[in-house]
Amino acid sequence: MSRDEDHKDDGFAQFEQFLEEWSRRDFLKRTGGAAAYLSFIGGGLAAFLEACAGGTSNNTPTAKKGGHVVEGNFSDIRTLNSMLSSDTASNQVIGLMFDGLLNYKKDGSLVAALAQDLPKTNSDGTVYTFKLRSGLKWSDGQPLTSDDVKFTYQLAYDSQYKDVTSPRRGDLSKYIKSIDTPDPQTVVITTTQVFAPFLSSHGRYGILPKHVLGSLDGKAINTAPFNTAPNVTCGAFKFVKWDKGQQVTMERNDNFWAGPPNLDQWIYKVLPDSVAVTNQLKTGEIDIGPVDPSHFDAVKSADNVAVTEFPVPTFTFYAYQLDAAKKGGKLFSDKAVRQALLFALNRDQVVSAVYFGHGSVANSVEPPISWAYKDKPQVLYSFDKAKAESMLESAGWTKGSDGIRAKNGLKLKFDMITNAGNKQRESMLQVMQQSWKDIGVDATPSLIQFPQLVSQITNIRTFDMFLVGFNFDEDPDQGQLWHSRNTVAGGFNGFDFKNSDVDSLLDQAVGTLDKTKRKQLYGQFQDIMSDVVPAPIILFNHGIWGVSKRVQGADFGPFNQFATRPWNHNVWVTDGK
Amino acid sequence: MLVRYVARRFLASLVVVLGVTLITLILMDRTRGTYVPGIDLNPSLRPEDIEHLRENLGLDRPFYVWYLTWLGSVLHGDFGHSMIDGSPVLSHILDRLPNTLELTATAIVIGVLVAVPLGVIGALRRGSKTDHALTVTSVAGFAVPQFWMGLMLILIFSVTLEQHGLPWLPSSGAFSAFNGGDFLDRVEHLVLPATVLSFFYTSQWSRFIRSSMLEVLSQDYIRTARAKGMSERRVVYLHGLRNALIPLITLIGLELPGLVSGGLVVEVVFGWPGIGKLAFERALQYDYTTVMGVTFFATLLVIAGNLLADLLYGALDPRIRYG
Repeated sequence: MSRDEDHKDDGFAQFEQFLEEWSRRDFLKRTGGAAAYLSFIGGGLAAFLEACAGGTSNNTPTAKKGGHVVEGNFSDIRTLNSMLSSDTASNQVIGLMFDGLLNYKKDGSLVAALAQDLPKTNSDGTVYTFKLRSGLKWSDGQPLTSDDVKFTYQLAYDSQYKDVTSPRRGDLSKYIKSIDTPDPQTVVITTTQVFAPFLSSHGRYGILPKHVLGSLDGKAINTAPFNTAPNVTCGAFKFVKWDKGQQVTMERNDNFWAGPPNLDQWIYKVLPDSVAVTNQLKTGEIDIGPVDPSHFDAVKSADNVAVTEFPVPTFTFYAYQLDAAKKGGKLFSDKAVRQALLFALNRDQVVSAVYFGHGSVANSVEPPISWAYKDKPQVLYSFDKAKAESMLESAGWTKGSDGIRAKNGLKLKFDMITNAGNKQRESMLQVMQQSWKDIGVDATPSLIQFPQLVSQITNIRTFDMFLVGFNFDEDPDQGQLWHSRNTVAGGFNGFDFKNSDVDSLLDQAVGTLDKTKRKQLYGQFQDIMSDVVPAPIILFNHGIWGVSKRVQGADFGPFNQFATRPWNHNVWVTDGK
Repeated sequence: MLVRYVARRFLASLVVVLGVTLITLILMDRTRGTYVPGIDLNPSLRPEDIEHLRENLGLDRPFYVWYLTWLGSVLHGDFGHSMIDGSPVLSHILDRLPNTLELTATAIVIGVLVAVPLGVIGALRRGSKTDHALTVTSVAGFAVPQFWMGLMLILIFSVTLEQHGLPWLPSSGAFSAFNGGDFLDRVEHLVLPATVLSFFYTSQWSRFIRSSMLEVLSQDYIRTARAKGMSERRVVYLHGLRNALIPLITLIGLELPGLVSGGLVVEVVFGWPGIGKLAFERALQYDYTTVMGVTFFATLLVIAGNLLADLLYGALDPRIRYG
């Protein structure tokens, strides 16, 4: 959930809602994805995801060699060290130059990258044994071995490297007990406990060259020249140069394990904003770029650009202050208030007004494309103003002379914060203000800078309500947001949601690798969440990408957007330029 | 005499440098809250990791301790590493400096070349239609926000021209992404941002020269020159303009820091990889070290620019004595 995350906002489609809210023709017209839509109805998710690739799928006869692609995005990179990066831009460029053991398919399932296959797991689910592909080489010709893999992970879990400022340290030092390398092709990772999301969360970090960085200590690694100019890589491309504030230029890595990529160059270009992305897609200055929902039609109408749209696990939610000691907590500890406010909010209208229809409302906290998604949890919320009002009435919140509801002298009046500059979030607060005013609730939007918003959520926590975006991994674990242990200072459960049943279900669900059991546990979890609504999800976003028609083989999907693109070496250009 | 003057100005400016950097730091520190630069809402960070990051960055110490540590390093020529990406601050500044210089120097040169003739024409034809037209244009130059003008130029000269299959100008960056960087390519990219920036300078300076010129032309020595039978051309350009230009030196001297901080707005709108854009982005991310580095540089340049202007003043205007 980075500063620029609003740019990468995407989401899932809850397709039944789509049916209700959009005439089918309208939807088809907007997405141009008739086949995709029908195949979803008929053939389920996998078929839908395949069809989603639309005009850019790589079913074209022969790929041409040579040429270049310019990809545009909003943020400059920060670092090219996979163990130090935490922002989308850096991860995206790292993904082009560094492969991990595993990668994602676009539906989120794992696929082997540097590893030969998915790892073998021992009987109790704590030891993963990876076999590397044979003959792996770094771009400088040195062999890539299990030592490199161990070294990479050591940077974030081994106390020897505690000075490395790795954002992965929290998880890796908690879950990794040891890494052994019985031979140059074998990596054995022993974890401290069964942790179901381990592979999907931690199996795809770009592997770093020990023969370049191995001689440095932790502090030196933080500022190593390698971080901004990696002279040795193991992904599809090699580093050429970084013109700060302008672009990163990469070229073909002939030592790539899957063979040399089709393209000679991949250029990552930094653009001022989403308007520039749209303009430069049209002018051909860039070949690939993420499209803002408000520019969808503008890009769609360009002859030279193909647009692809799909649901992704990014969402926008608002959170109620639940700490009863705080002002907001006094209002929101009443479940009727939390539920009534959600009933009074027309989320479909938000999607159409703020996201121009490029997003979807879901029934649950899990993304609709997750295998753990429960479509009909215990309580369903569809827009029902009358119901909202009667709920508040019967809970004792009655309207005063000023039209604002109150109970025992306490007015239903609060502030809502989000970060200034994110126009979608700003508009959402306005819709919420108006919707709730209609039922006698006085909510005031307030815009603050992003760093202050982060402080509010993780530490200061004097807010009544905040609105922000978040992104889930492929794994349905959502402990970071809902588990009570994350109410500690610095944790992300900043709204003080504590529910022992939820804690226990979340703990059990990550403590087993049995998918059927997990699905059932997450079902129970979603039931409870739909009833207690600590922080309702307004919508799941859609990923929208514009790809020049001269570019083939770019196969974007829900889990193949930024950092994880197993197809990047297959991309080619029809004109060979 | 002059040496003593310069020395005194230098000492006084040290106070300015300290003041500006200290205020910058206090502003950042007081508004930062508990935000740790470089980390976003990353849920896999434990509180102890965040604490560790804070210690690494020195943010666990009070701001005055941080300031003194920073000042100590700067005096040793070490501007430290960015809190966001770990790269040396100096390399961030130096990498972008050529781009900013390219843009602002071009804009200033165009600005002077256009502003001087316009100012003179305005003064000589005071009250005429031409003068009114120039006045309106330059007021527009003040009034039109640079970002808006930038967007309009992009819309017209990039998007619309391209749509009609006409030659068009690139809308962002300092050179083409692919195989760019030769002289013509850079000039193409320079046209739009330099136009916006120089329009602003031109508006400002042409007004200034006009009034300065009017003042000079009413002086006794101009009347004397005319009475001597000197040609009007010589009167205006030799006696008038030379004197009228003196105050402009101050103005341009004051723009020297602009050479570095650049047209911040212009850089942001056109995605120009310069120092203004760097400062802007890093201020939003609370990258203390980078912002302090840029501030330090910019302050030094303001002072140097002022000093240079004062000295040039003396060289051009013999009535001024330093003491």
